[in-house]
Amino acid sequence: MDRNQITKWLKAPAKMANKYSLHAVYFCTGCGIIEVPPVITSRWDAERFGVVPVATPRQANLFLITGYVSVKTLRAIIRTYEQMPEPKYTVGFGSCPVNGGMYWDSYNTIKHLDKYIPIDGWIAGCMPRPEAIFIAVTHLWTLIDKDMANAYIRYRKNYKSYRRNQELALGKLEWPPLFPVGDESQGNEQ
Amino acid sequence: MINSLRQKLEATFKDIRIAIPEESRIVVTAENDGVPAILRYLKDLGLDHLALISAVDWIEENCLELCFILTSYMQNDDEVTGRQKLHIILKTSIPREKPKFKTVIGIFPNAEPYEREIHELFGIKFEGHPRLTPLLLEREYQIPPFRKDFDTRKYVKEVFDKIPSVEIEEK
Repeated sequence: MDRNQITKWLKAPAKMANKYSLHAVYFCTGCGIIEVPPVITSRWDAERFGVVPVATPRQANLFLITGYVSVKTLRAIIRTYEQMPEPKYTVGFGSCPVNGGMYWDSYNTIKHLDKYIPIDGWIAGCMPRPEAIFIAVTHLWTLIDKDMANAYIRYRKNYKSYRRNQELALGKLEWPPLFPVGDESQGNEQ
Repeated sequence: MINSLRQKLEATFKDIRIAIPEESRIVVTAENDGVPAILRYLKDLGLDHLALISAVDWIEENCLELCFILTSYMQNDDEVTGRQKLHIILKTSIPREKPKFKTVIGIFPNAEPYEREIHELFGIKFEGHPRLTPLLLEREYQIPPFRKDFDTRKYVKEVFDKIPSVEIEEK
Protein backbone atom coordinates (compact mmCIF):
# COMPACT_ATOMS: atom_id res chain seq x y z
CA MET A 1 0.00 0.00 0.00
CA ASP A 2 1.08 3.52 -0.75
CA ARG A 3 2.33 5.15 2.47
CA ASN A 4 1.01 8.53 1.38
CA GLN A 5 -2.48 7.19 1.41
CA ILE A 6 -2.48 6.03 5.02
CA THR A 7 -3.97 9.30 6.24
CA LYS A 8 -6.68 9.06 3.62
CA TRP A 9 -7.52 5.55 4.75
CA LEU A 10 -7.73 6.68 8.35
CA LYS A 11 -9.83 9.73 7.52
CA ALA A 12 -12.38 8.13 5.23
CA PRO A 13 -12.08 4.36 5.13
CA ALA A 14 -15.46 3.84 3.46
CA LYS A 15 -14.60 6.17 0.65
CA MET A 16 -11.26 4.48 0.04
CA ALA A 17 -12.89 1.08 0.07
CA ASN A 18 -15.47 2.19 -2.46
CA LYS A 19 -12.75 3.58 -4.61
CA TYR A 20 -10.75 0.38 -4.92
CA SER A 21 -13.60 -2.04 -5.31
CA LEU A 22 -15.43 -0.97 -8.43
CA HIS A 23 -17.58 -3.80 -9.64
CA ALA A 24 -18.83 -3.18 -13.14
CA VAL A 25 -22.14 -4.59 -14.21
CA TYR A 26 -21.61 -6.56 -17.38
CA PHE A 27 -24.24 -4.78 -19.44
CA CYS A 28 -23.70 -4.86 -23.18
CA THR A 29 -24.97 -1.92 -25.20
CA GLY A 30 -24.05 -1.06 -28.73
CA CYS A 31 -20.64 -1.51 -30.27
CA GLY A 32 -18.50 -0.33 -27.34
CA ILE A 33 -18.87 -3.58 -25.48
CA ILE A 34 -16.32 -5.01 -27.93
CA GLU A 35 -13.67 -3.09 -25.99
CA VAL A 36 -14.65 -4.50 -22.63
CA PRO A 37 -13.62 -8.20 -22.92
CA PRO A 38 -9.96 -7.32 -23.63
CA VAL A 39 -10.08 -4.75 -20.85
CA ILE A 40 -11.17 -7.20 -18.19
CA THR A 41 -9.03 -10.10 -19.36
CA SER A 42 -5.29 -10.62 -19.46
CA ARG A 43 -4.31 -8.15 -22.16
CA TRP A 44 -5.23 -5.02 -20.20
CA ASP A 45 -6.37 -6.61 -16.96
CA ALA A 46 -8.76 -4.22 -15.32
CA GLU A 47 -8.36 -6.02 -12.03
CA ARG A 48 -5.16 -4.02 -11.50
CA PHE A 49 -7.47 -1.08 -10.95
CA GLY A 50 -9.95 -3.03 -8.88
CA VAL A 51 -12.52 -3.18 -11.68
CA VAL A 52 -14.18 -6.57 -11.85
CA PRO A 53 -17.23 -7.44 -13.92
CA VAL A 54 -20.09 -9.02 -12.03
CA ALA A 55 -23.11 -10.86 -13.25
CA THR A 56 -26.00 -8.99 -11.73
CA PRO A 57 -26.66 -5.32 -11.06
CA ARG A 58 -27.38 -6.05 -7.41
CA GLN A 59 -23.69 -6.76 -6.86
CA ALA A 60 -22.35 -3.89 -8.94
CA ASN A 61 -21.50 -0.27 -8.30
CA LEU A 62 -20.05 0.80 -11.65
CA PHE A 63 -22.22 1.07 -14.73
CA LEU A 64 -20.50 1.47 -18.09
CA ILE A 65 -22.91 2.37 -20.88
CA THR A 66 -20.92 1.38 -23.89
CA GLY A 67 -22.64 2.66 -26.97
CA TYR A 68 -25.75 4.00 -28.61
CA VAL A 69 -28.89 3.66 -26.56
CA SER A 70 -32.04 2.72 -28.41
CA VAL A 71 -35.38 3.31 -26.77
CA LYS A 72 -35.70 -0.35 -25.96
CA THR A 73 -32.26 -0.43 -24.36
CA LEU A 74 -33.09 2.64 -22.30
CA ARG A 75 -35.78 0.69 -20.53
CA ALA A 76 -33.27 -2.00 -19.59
CA ILE A 77 -30.70 0.60 -18.56
CA ILE A 78 -33.11 2.33 -16.19
CA ARG A 79 -34.16 -0.95 -14.63
CA THR A 80 -30.55 -2.02 -14.21
CA TYR A 81 -29.52 1.31 -12.76
CA GLU A 82 -32.34 1.37 -10.24
CA GLN A 83 -31.44 -2.11 -9.01
CA MET A 84 -27.85 -1.24 -8.22
CA PRO A 85 -27.10 -0.55 -4.55
CA GLU A 86 -25.71 2.82 -3.57
CA PRO A 87 -23.09 4.22 -3.89
CA LYS A 88 -23.13 3.69 -7.63
CA TYR A 89 -21.19 5.33 -10.42
CA THR A 90 -22.13 5.63 -14.07
CA VAL A 91 -19.79 6.30 -16.96
CA GLY A 92 -20.93 6.91 -20.53
CA PHE A 93 -18.51 5.29 -22.93
CA GLY A 94 -18.16 6.51 -26.50
CA SER A 95 -19.69 9.46 -28.23
CA CYS A 96 -23.16 7.99 -28.72
CA PRO A 97 -24.38 8.32 -25.11
CA VAL A 98 -22.91 11.84 -24.98
CA ASN A 99 -25.01 13.40 -27.74
CA GLY A 100 -26.14 10.65 -30.05
CA GLY A 101 -22.94 10.50 -32.07
CA MET A 102 -23.63 9.27 -35.57
CA TYR A 103 -27.17 8.41 -34.50
CA TRP A 104 -28.13 11.98 -33.70
CA ASP A 105 -31.08 11.95 -36.11
CA SER A 106 -32.09 8.34 -35.74
CA TYR A 107 -35.74 7.47 -35.35
CA ASN A 108 -35.15 5.11 -32.45
CA THR A 109 -32.04 6.25 -30.58
CA ILE A 110 -32.19 8.61 -27.63
CA LYS A 111 -29.59 11.28 -27.93
CA HIS A 112 -28.58 12.55 -24.51
CA LEU A 113 -28.32 9.80 -21.95
CA ASP A 114 -27.97 12.25 -19.05
CA LYS A 115 -31.57 13.31 -19.54
CA TYR A 116 -32.70 9.90 -18.30
CA ILE A 117 -30.14 8.72 -15.77
CA PRO A 118 -27.39 10.73 -14.07
CA ILE A 119 -23.85 10.30 -15.35
CA ASP A 120 -20.63 10.74 -13.39
CA GLY A 121 -18.27 10.97 -16.31
CA TRP A 122 -17.93 10.59 -20.02
CA ILE A 123 -15.35 8.91 -22.19
CA ALA A 124 -15.46 10.61 -25.58
CA GLY A 125 -14.37 8.96 -28.78
CA CYS A 126 -15.61 6.54 -31.35
CA MET A 127 -14.24 4.08 -30.28
CA PRO A 128 -12.27 4.97 -27.18
CA ARG A 129 -9.19 2.83 -26.64
CA PRO A 130 -9.20 0.37 -23.73
CA GLU A 131 -6.69 2.63 -22.00
CA ALA A 132 -9.40 5.29 -21.92
CA ILE A 133 -11.37 3.14 -19.51
CA PHE A 134 -8.42 3.18 -17.09
CA ILE A 135 -8.06 6.94 -17.45
CA ALA A 136 -11.75 7.18 -16.66
CA VAL A 137 -11.34 4.91 -13.65
CA THR A 138 -8.49 6.99 -12.26
CA HIS A 139 -10.53 10.15 -12.85
CA LEU A 140 -13.39 8.49 -11.05
CA TRP A 141 -11.06 7.84 -8.09
CA THR A 142 -10.27 11.54 -7.97
CA LEU A 143 -13.94 12.39 -8.13
CA ILE A 144 -14.74 9.97 -5.32
CA ASP A 145 -11.96 11.47 -3.23
CA LYS A 146 -13.40 14.95 -3.71
CA ASP A 147 -17.02 13.81 -3.17
CA MET A 148 -17.83 14.86 -6.73
CA ALA A 149 -19.00 11.46 -7.99
CA ASN A 150 -22.45 12.25 -6.71
CA ALA A 151 -24.65 11.09 -9.55
CA TYR A 152 -26.68 8.77 -7.35
CA ILE A 153 -27.35 11.64 -4.94
CA ARG A 154 -28.44 13.80 -7.87
CA TYR A 155 -30.73 11.02 -9.01
CA ARG A 156 -32.36 10.85 -5.63
CA LYS A 157 -32.70 14.63 -5.46
CA ASN A 158 -34.04 15.25 -8.96
CA TYR A 159 -35.86 11.98 -9.34
CA LYS A 160 -39.07 13.72 -10.30
CA SER A 161 -37.67 15.26 -13.45
CA TYR A 162 -35.69 12.13 -14.34
CA ARG A 163 -38.83 10.08 -14.06
CA ARG A 164 -40.72 12.63 -16.15
CA ASN A 165 -38.12 12.39 -18.91
CA GLN A 166 -38.16 8.60 -18.77
CA GLU A 167 -41.92 8.64 -19.19
CA LEU A 168 -41.66 11.10 -22.07
CA ALA A 169 -39.34 8.73 -23.92
CA LEU A 170 -40.83 5.39 -23.00
CA GLY A 171 -44.47 6.08 -22.40
CA LYS A 172 -45.91 4.66 -19.24
CA LEU A 173 -43.38 2.80 -17.12
CA GLU A 174 -44.53 -0.50 -15.70
CA TRP A 175 -42.55 -0.23 -12.48
CA PRO A 176 -43.35 2.08 -9.56
CA PRO A 177 -41.19 5.11 -8.79
CA LEU A 178 -37.99 4.35 -6.92
CA PHE A 179 -38.27 7.48 -4.79
CA PRO A 180 -41.41 9.42 -3.92
CA VAL A 181 -42.50 11.80 -6.66
CA GLY A 182 -45.16 14.45 -6.76
CA ASP A 183 -47.94 15.31 -4.42
CA GLU A 184 -50.01 12.15 -4.24
CA SER A 185 -47.14 9.98 -3.05
CA GLN A 186 -46.29 12.56 -0.39
CA GLY A 187 -49.92 12.56 0.64
CA ASN A 188 -49.82 8.83 1.12
CA GLU A 189 -46.97 9.16 3.54
CA GLN A 190 -47.76 10.12 7.07
CA MET B 1 -26.77 -24.63 -64.40
CA ILE B 2 -27.93 -21.04 -64.62
CA ASN B 3 -29.10 -21.22 -68.20
CA SER B 4 -30.92 -24.47 -67.69
CA LEU B 5 -32.62 -23.04 -64.62
CA ARG B 6 -33.59 -19.98 -66.59
CA GLN B 7 -35.12 -22.09 -69.33
CA LYS B 8 -36.97 -24.19 -66.79
CA LEU B 9 -38.42 -21.13 -65.08
CA GLU B 10 -39.42 -19.51 -68.34
CA ALA B 11 -41.08 -22.70 -69.49
CA THR B 12 -42.99 -23.20 -66.26
CA PHE B 13 -44.17 -19.71 -65.38
CA LYS B 14 -45.63 -16.97 -67.46
CA ASP B 15 -45.54 -13.27 -66.53
CA ILE B 16 -42.04 -13.38 -65.15
CA ARG B 17 -38.95 -11.50 -66.22
CA ILE B 18 -35.52 -12.97 -65.65
CA ALA B 19 -32.26 -11.10 -65.55
CA ILE B 20 -28.78 -12.38 -64.79
CA PRO B 21 -26.80 -9.38 -63.50
CA GLU B 22 -23.73 -11.43 -62.70
CA GLU B 23 -22.50 -14.96 -62.56
CA SER B 24 -24.36 -17.19 -60.12
CA ARG B 25 -27.12 -14.68 -59.50
CA ILE B 26 -30.58 -14.64 -61.03
CA VAL B 27 -33.13 -11.91 -60.57
CA VAL B 28 -36.69 -12.99 -61.19
CA THR B 29 -39.42 -10.38 -61.26
CA ALA B 30 -42.91 -11.75 -60.81
CA GLU B 31 -46.45 -10.69 -60.14
CA ASN B 32 -47.88 -10.82 -56.63
CA ASP B 33 -50.02 -13.88 -57.11
CA GLY B 34 -47.29 -15.92 -58.72
CA VAL B 35 -44.80 -15.62 -55.87
CA PRO B 36 -45.88 -18.58 -53.68
CA ALA B 37 -45.90 -20.95 -56.65
CA ILE B 38 -42.43 -19.85 -57.74
CA LEU B 39 -41.09 -20.15 -54.21
CA ARG B 40 -42.47 -23.64 -53.87
CA TYR B 41 -41.07 -24.62 -57.25
CA LEU B 42 -37.62 -23.29 -56.36
CA LYS B 43 -37.71 -25.01 -53.02
CA ASP B 44 -38.46 -28.30 -54.69
CA LEU B 45 -35.54 -27.68 -57.06
CA GLY B 46 -33.15 -27.58 -54.10
CA LEU B 47 -32.99 -23.88 -53.25
CA ASP B 48 -34.25 -24.62 -49.80
CA HIS B 49 -32.74 -21.75 -47.82
CA LEU B 50 -34.62 -18.49 -47.60
CA ALA B 51 -31.76 -16.21 -46.66
CA LEU B 52 -33.69 -12.97 -46.34
CA ILE B 53 -36.83 -11.11 -47.15
CA SER B 54 -36.18 -7.45 -47.61
CA ALA B 55 -38.26 -4.54 -48.75
CA VAL B 56 -37.48 -1.41 -50.75
CA ASP B 57 -39.58 1.70 -50.87
CA TRP B 58 -39.64 3.10 -54.41
CA ILE B 59 -41.48 6.29 -53.64
CA GLU B 60 -41.25 7.73 -57.17
CA GLU B 61 -42.78 4.66 -58.75
CA ASN B 62 -45.26 4.58 -55.87
CA CYS B 63 -44.61 0.97 -54.99
CA LEU B 64 -42.98 -1.15 -52.36
CA GLU B 65 -40.78 -3.96 -53.58
CA LEU B 66 -40.33 -7.22 -51.72
CA CYS B 67 -37.18 -9.25 -52.37
CA PHE B 68 -36.96 -12.91 -51.46
CA ILE B 69 -33.35 -14.07 -51.51
CA LEU B 70 -32.99 -17.79 -51.92
CA THR B 71 -29.90 -19.89 -51.85
CA SER B 72 -28.87 -23.41 -51.00
CA TYR B 73 -26.34 -25.01 -48.72
CA MET B 74 -26.14 -28.16 -50.77
CA GLN B 75 -25.10 -27.19 -54.29
CA ASN B 76 -22.04 -28.97 -55.56
CA ASP B 77 -22.59 -29.32 -59.27
CA ASP B 78 -19.91 -26.84 -60.32
CA GLU B 79 -16.76 -28.26 -58.85
CA VAL B 80 -14.36 -26.90 -61.48
CA THR B 81 -14.90 -23.19 -61.06
CA GLY B 82 -15.66 -23.29 -57.40
CA ARG B 83 -18.59 -20.94 -57.95
CA GLN B 84 -21.10 -23.19 -56.34
CA LYS B 85 -23.44 -20.81 -54.69
CA LEU B 86 -26.43 -19.75 -56.69
CA HIS B 87 -28.54 -16.88 -55.49
CA ILE B 88 -32.02 -16.31 -56.70
CA ILE B 89 -33.59 -12.97 -55.96
CA LEU B 90 -37.32 -13.00 -56.43
CA LYS B 91 -38.80 -9.54 -56.66
CA THR B 92 -42.36 -8.41 -56.61
CA SER B 93 -43.84 -4.97 -56.22
CA ILE B 94 -46.95 -4.03 -54.30
CA PRO B 95 -48.76 -0.67 -54.28
CA ARG B 96 -47.92 1.77 -51.51
CA GLU B 97 -51.54 2.62 -50.74
CA LYS B 98 -52.61 -0.95 -50.07
CA PRO B 99 -49.52 -2.68 -48.74
CA LYS B 100 -50.69 -6.26 -48.40
CA PHE B 101 -49.10 -9.55 -49.18
CA LYS B 102 -49.80 -13.18 -48.49
CA THR B 103 -47.47 -14.72 -45.94
CA VAL B 104 -44.99 -17.34 -47.11
CA ILE B 105 -44.64 -19.06 -43.74
CA GLY B 106 -46.34 -22.10 -45.19
CA ILE B 107 -43.44 -22.57 -47.58
CA PHE B 108 -40.53 -21.25 -45.53
CA PRO B 109 -41.22 -21.24 -41.77
CA ASN B 110 -38.20 -19.03 -41.12
CA ALA B 111 -39.96 -16.17 -42.91
CA GLU B 112 -41.78 -15.30 -39.70
CA PRO B 113 -39.32 -12.82 -38.13
CA TYR B 114 -38.54 -11.24 -41.49
CA GLU B 115 -42.20 -10.60 -42.13
CA ARG B 116 -42.69 -9.20 -38.65
CA GLU B 117 -39.78 -6.85 -39.14
CA ILE B 118 -41.04 -5.67 -42.55
CA HIS B 119 -44.51 -5.20 -41.13
CA GLU B 120 -43.08 -3.02 -38.40
CA LEU B 121 -40.62 -0.97 -40.42
CA PHE B 122 -42.42 -0.69 -43.77
CA GLY B 123 -46.02 -1.22 -42.79
CA ILE B 124 -46.67 -4.13 -45.14
CA LYS B 125 -49.42 -6.33 -43.78
CA PHE B 126 -48.82 -10.03 -44.26
CA GLU B 127 -52.14 -11.82 -44.45
CA GLY B 128 -52.16 -15.10 -42.60
CA HIS B 129 -49.21 -14.28 -40.37
CA PRO B 130 -49.88 -15.67 -36.88
CA ARG B 131 -48.51 -12.75 -34.87
CA LEU B 132 -47.71 -9.39 -36.34
CA THR B 133 -46.75 -7.88 -33.00
CA PRO B 134 -43.98 -5.29 -32.54
CA LEU B 135 -40.54 -6.79 -32.79
CA LEU B 136 -37.95 -4.04 -32.54
CA LEU B 137 -39.62 -0.72 -31.91
CA GLU B 138 -40.95 0.62 -28.63
CA ARG B 139 -42.62 3.80 -29.77
CA GLU B 140 -45.63 4.40 -31.98
CA TYR B 141 -44.95 5.92 -35.39
CA GLN B 142 -47.47 7.65 -37.65
CA ILE B 143 -45.61 6.53 -40.78
CA PRO B 144 -43.51 3.35 -40.57
CA PRO B 145 -39.97 4.60 -40.07
CA PHE B 146 -38.26 2.92 -43.02
CA ARG B 147 -40.55 4.48 -45.59
CA LYS B 148 -39.02 7.24 -47.62
CA ASP B 149 -41.62 9.81 -46.59
CA PHE B 150 -40.77 9.37 -42.92
CA ASP B 151 -38.79 12.48 -41.96
CA THR B 152 -36.34 11.32 -39.31
CA ARG B 153 -34.94 14.76 -38.64
CA LYS B 154 -38.39 16.20 -38.06
CA TYR B 155 -39.29 13.24 -35.85
CA VAL B 156 -36.15 13.64 -33.74
CA LYS B 157 -36.80 17.37 -33.39
CA GLU B 158 -40.35 16.74 -32.29
CA VAL B 159 -39.66 13.88 -29.90
CA PHE B 160 -36.16 13.48 -28.56
CA ASP B 161 -35.12 17.14 -28.76
CA LYS B 162 -38.31 18.22 -26.98
CA ILE B 163 -37.39 16.22 -23.90
CA PRO B 164 -35.95 18.82 -21.55
CA SER B 165 -32.72 18.55 -19.62
CA VAL B 166 -32.97 17.68 -15.98
CA GLU B 167 -33.14 20.74 -13.79
CA ILE B 168 -30.42 20.45 -11.23
CA GLU B 169 -31.36 22.02 -7.94
CA GLU B 170 -28.71 23.89 -6.03
CA LYS B 171 -26.60 21.76 -3.75
